[in-house]
Amino acid sequence: MSTSIYGKKMKKFSITFISMALWLFSSIAWAATHTISISAVQLPNGQYGYKLNNHTSSDGVVPNYPAEAVIPGPTLFVKQGDIVNIQLRNETNIKVGFNAPGLTNGVVAPANPGQSKSYTLNTQQTGTYPYFDDKSQLLGLFGAIVVDDANGQVQSFVDGDGKITAVNRAQLDKEFVMFMVGSTFWGAEISRDGTQKPLWTNPTLGAVMNNLVRFHVLSVGMAHTFHLHAHRWINPAANPNTATAEDIIDVHLMKNPHDSHVFTIKAGTGVGPGVWQYHCHLVSHMESGMNGKFLVVAADSGDPGNSIAGASPSGAIFLNPSDDPGLVTFIISDEPGSWFRSARGDALSPVTFTKSLEVIPPGSSVHFVMSDTHGVHTITSLLWPSEAGNNNHPGGDHFMIPFDQTKAYRGGGIVQLNVPGLYVFTCKVHPYMFGAVIVDSPGTTGLDLGNTIDLVSGIKNLPTSSDLATRLLRTFFVATTQGNWQDYTAATPWHVNYPNVPVETNLGTLNLKDVLEARYGQDITLSAVTAPATPGVGEVWINTQFEKTAGKTKPGTITVLDTTNWTLKRKIALPEINMNNPHNIWPNRDHTVMYQTQWFDTKLTLIDQRTGKLIKNIQVGDTPSHVVTLPNSDDLTVAINGENGVVIIPAGTTEVNYMMPTQHQGQVPANPHGHWVSADGSRIITPNINTSDAGIYNADTGQIVSRTQTGNGAPGPHPIAIGMMPDSSKIYASNLLHHSLSVLDGNNGALLKTINLIENYNPITGDITGPVGVLPIQTPVSPDGKAVVLAATGGQIVVVDTKTDSIVKMLACDPGCHGANFGAKQGGGYYAYVTSKFSNRLIVVDVDPNNDGDLSDADIVGSISMVAGSSVAKDDTISSLAGYGGQGLVALPNVYNGWVQNLTSEWASGLTNSQRNPIQ
Amino acid sequence: MKSELEYEFQPGSCQALYMPKHPTKLKLASWLILATMLMGLGGMTSVLAGNTHQIKMVAEEVDPTGNLGLFAYRMMQHQVVDSNGNTVDLSGNYSTVATIPGPTIVMTEGDVAEIELMHQFNPDNPKQEHVSLHVHGVHYDKESDGTLKYINLYKDESATPVLSYNYRWIAAPGTTGTWAYHDHNMNSHNGAEDRGLFGALIVNPASGLLLQDINGTGSGNALLSQIQKEFVLYIGDDAFWGMEINNANGVQTALGANPNLNAQLNSDIRIHLIALGTNFPQFELPSYTWIDPGTRRRISAKTIGPLEKHVFAINASQSASYLDTAFSSKLLGMKGQLIVD
Repeated sequence: MSTSIYGKKMKKFSITFISMALWLFSSIAWAATHTISISAVQLPNGQYGYKLNNHTSSDGVVPNYPAEAVIPGPTLFVKQGDIVNIQLRNETNIKVGFNAPGLTNGVVAPANPGQSKSYTLNTQQTGTYPYFDDKSQLLGLFGAIVVDDANGQVQSFVDGDGKITAVNRAQLDKEFVMFMVGSTFWGAEISRDGTQKPLWTNPTLGAVMNNLVRFHVLSVGMAHTFHLHAHRWINPAANPNTATAEDIIDVHLMKNPHDSHVFTIKAGTGVGPGVWQYHCHLVSHMESGMNGKFLVVAADSGDPGNSIAGASPSGAIFLNPSDDPGLVTFIISDEPGSWFRSARGDALSPVTFTKSLEVIPPGSSVHFVMSDTHGVHTITSLLWPSEAGNNNHPGGDHFMIPFDQTKAYRGGGIVQLNVPGLYVFTCKVHPYMFGAVIVDSPGTTGLDLGNTIDLVSGIKNLPTSSDLATRLLRTFFVATTQGNWQDYTAATPWHVNYPNVPVETNLGTLNLKDVLEARYGQDITLSAVTAPATPGVGEVWINTQFEKTAGKTKPGTITVLDTTNWTLKRKIALPEINMNNPHNIWPNRDHTVMYQTQWFDTKLTLIDQRTGKLIKNIQVGDTPSHVVTLPNSDDLTVAINGENGVVIIPAGTTEVNYMMPTQHQGQVPANPHGHWVSADGSRIITPNINTSDAGIYNADTGQIVSRTQTGNGAPGPHPIAIGMMPDSSKIYASNLLHHSLSVLDGNNGALLKTINLIENYNPITGDITGPVGVLPIQTPVSPDGKAVVLAATGGQIVVVDTKTDSIVKMLACDPGCHGANFGAKQGGGYYAYVTSKFSNRLIVVDVDPNNDGDLSDADIVGSISMVAGSSVAKDDTISSLAGYGGQGLVALPNVYNGWVQNLTSEWASGLTNSQRNPIQ
Repeated sequence: MKSELEYEFQPGSCQALYMPKHPTKLKLASWLILATMLMGLGGMTSVLAGNTHQIKMVAEEVDPTGNLGLFAYRMMQHQVVDSNGNTVDLSGNYSTVATIPGPTIVMTEGDVAEIELMHQFNPDNPKQEHVSLHVHGVHYDKESDGTLKYINLYKDESATPVLSYNYRWIAAPGTTGTWAYHDHNMNSHNGAEDRGLFGALIVNPASGLLLQDINGTGSGNALLSQIQKEFVLYIGDDAFWGMEINNANGVQTALGANPNLNAQLNSDIRIHLIALGTNFPQFELPSYTWIDPGTRRRISAKTIGPLEKHVFAINASQSASYLDTAFSSKLLGMKGQLIVD
């Protein structure tokens, strides 16, 4: 596509030149004047589309447009030099604009709901241009404008004998407009007579052998490469009149933030009829469903070679009956709770109480688009109806279910669902992002949950009425609904809203709300928040990752707790950098600088410990999760959770030096999450969520020492966090989806033991006969090496005795229990501080209150509200979700062995001798 | 297409130029020449070579004991039969072990390749039941797309533990250039192209005139015969993977990850870049320039997307580093040396 390389003077010159040319060459028609009226409309699934109301042209020729709003929007055909006036009517409830870079004159502000705006186009340069709304383009507000040569000359094609042949538009049998957006193609067909037909998502494009077909491939948002099997065409950078073999391509890069690529092919030339796939050639986009078929039928077959439209936002979905296959859309978002937010979530949530649940009939599709996030993600099946994933599924559903991608990426996804039942999707990198789809057969009374489900962790044929199935459903409803989170400042008991609907299970029709309330209680009275009797030493910095403030669009604050009097000292939101989902934090050696990761972003933030003010915000890579210093050098290590390594920032510098790869070249990315470092700084240990192993790496050379599979061979155990003995002799790796704790030799990674955290849990009946830890996350070892404290997101704190590597205690935690770390207790001993995502308090655990080495008296000794009163220092106004989202945290002084010895005297002054020398 | 179907074309599946009207025992290559003469394609400056490449390749796991999870292609046999029926065996030019990238297959415009692919994975692993060759750029009919029936609605075009599969690639006029080939069928309907199952196909022009000039000076097309070495550089998400072809003797040497490229001072070399994965490499070779295809721009850097190719010829005048300057690629050390001496 063209870029505006001309200055204003050149533009004037061009216009003059074109006018002269028009005058001189009588064969060229006079420039036509087009008056076009379009509307922006919301579609039944919550997406938006442009609709053509009226198009008049002074030359009398206008296409036959669809009557409805479509994605892509109507394709506007004009000729070079035409005068084009466009009026946009905004019939949606959001602001909508019309921008066609390279064509639109000047900047026109978007139209408010109900308003209209006018635009004029500058059509000096031929080409196909995307038009779009700047803000909501990824939700469907895009289309193409084709500025054709006044004589009708279009792109030449390469014939089967290699001849490059000129084409006039009148010779074209059909044209396709194909937008690449997220991980989905959105298509339209323009027939020879100018009739435009919407083909929606990933259509089958039809043609007869030797048809001349022009493709207008466009993109908005993420970059792609377009590939069509068995066909080749001319690089648009080349002049078709002088193009040589060098200019013949079959793949083309579509650049961010928008691009256009136009070519003509002769269908099947040199290769014959067939079903030829077109697809994006990015591996992650291929894996997320970004493909379709180009059907070329033989000329004598009698088959007219018609195209077949794909799933549509106006097709059959819950509350929108239709004979056409429908499409529901989840917006992937950084917004707490609605990480998978249905595009019509606001309309559904009065009934479903969540914006992350959709209902479709069999044969319709679910579509994902990462339009509201700065991070990278995967779209991964967490559970699905057993039948859909069976290897011999006759419809081939097992080719797409379970849905997954090898590596995290920017884009989206699309998948057709045919088997009735419950499908839950998650992100492997952020495994509490949930979106659920019920595929409901119209013939049943209740919503179809199906008979059995399979889980990504390898559990097969789990009855939908089982405790594990309903427990996961409950987790889904708590996690995805902000109103279902535990509020320790509320006067009323904790109430969880569930949809009051009948569901079909293996036990027949049940009421979902009744089952969940009967099994897990309702209106539970929360215990009062009371501070521990004995003060701690220093501060705790807590990532209240969901707390929202008025000065920024992204969530998350840091809550600083003064443990000497158990009061909140500060809230840090950093509105100047729109701090996004702060996840984990660590101090430098002298505790002057705090290092903060932004987990749904690409940044690491340096903060002044004393003032809470921003020092620097630096790019480190996609989706940085955890940060730890090397105790010997004070170099910084940051796990790049969305990629394949740990980046190193040398002490005292603010730039990434290099990335230590967590796997060999060419291997599947490990996507390390919550790493740890040995007390001597010689080894970095990462839990590799994507490759199901814990890796030991030489911190000096970056070499892989060992990679040990966790989870006893089960698929997808999801090792997520590492703890380490103070003498570095043993490693503890928690396996989120395997509900286990792997114990590894700290030097060579040999697997010593796998502690089953759900041994005492019956997944069918729900009977719990002893301590359990469901969905374990952080797993630090106490600085004195006595105990592992494990935060399990199912709402438990598990204490493990490191002498026996067995569970000694289970304590009640809050929903989404997540972070744990140790700090010093005044007068000796340690507190474990434990955070929860879906509550607004911090829990304080004393693993050995009487310091006798016997951990059986481990207990919760208090809790602190994370909600800041008016007197607490803040850099922004708390606007909602006060105190929620507790995840990473760190205590100052940093009392872990290796680090504690390097404290300044000021920070060490509050510690006892044994706290200063924890393993002596 | 199973062995017994070899050389049989489905009616209407190929353009007339290559399609005898009646079944015949004449070699296809002869037909090519005949058809070319009959149709009087005056644009062709030389008679098409019309060689037939008879190739046997194996897809296998790289270091199965090392648990690397990487796979690769290995050349077993490559014989070239010319239009007179003379056979040259090129098998000795290739590595005896599977390499990443796989063997570079060099053809000339007008040639045909008949490739039998064999499956050497764990036959008990259902994810590894299929492996294929899907090629870019050249002609092939619907038997040789290298996709699963789920995609092509025709058949599984895979080598399996029990059956090899034959592919037929036609380097027809208009297909000159460097193209990727890769698996499309292992693990899923997308294949395991990102696990090592990829290689390059170079289709040289029948004229012997290269598509590029040297150094982008606009000096006119270089001669293929003046290129001493070809370097195929696949750019993955975390490493370059190199293959060197010495044009003096045709010998191929797998260079491994982020390789150093050795060239003789003042020799002409050609570099064939192909990207593969999910990232967008920003390739740079400072202190050299070449022409961005299709344009008149001289460049020293190029951003390409997965499975795009970018080919250029330079005169090796000085040592330099090549690298991928994308943020993470640079941090991961995706670079190597062009060593000129």
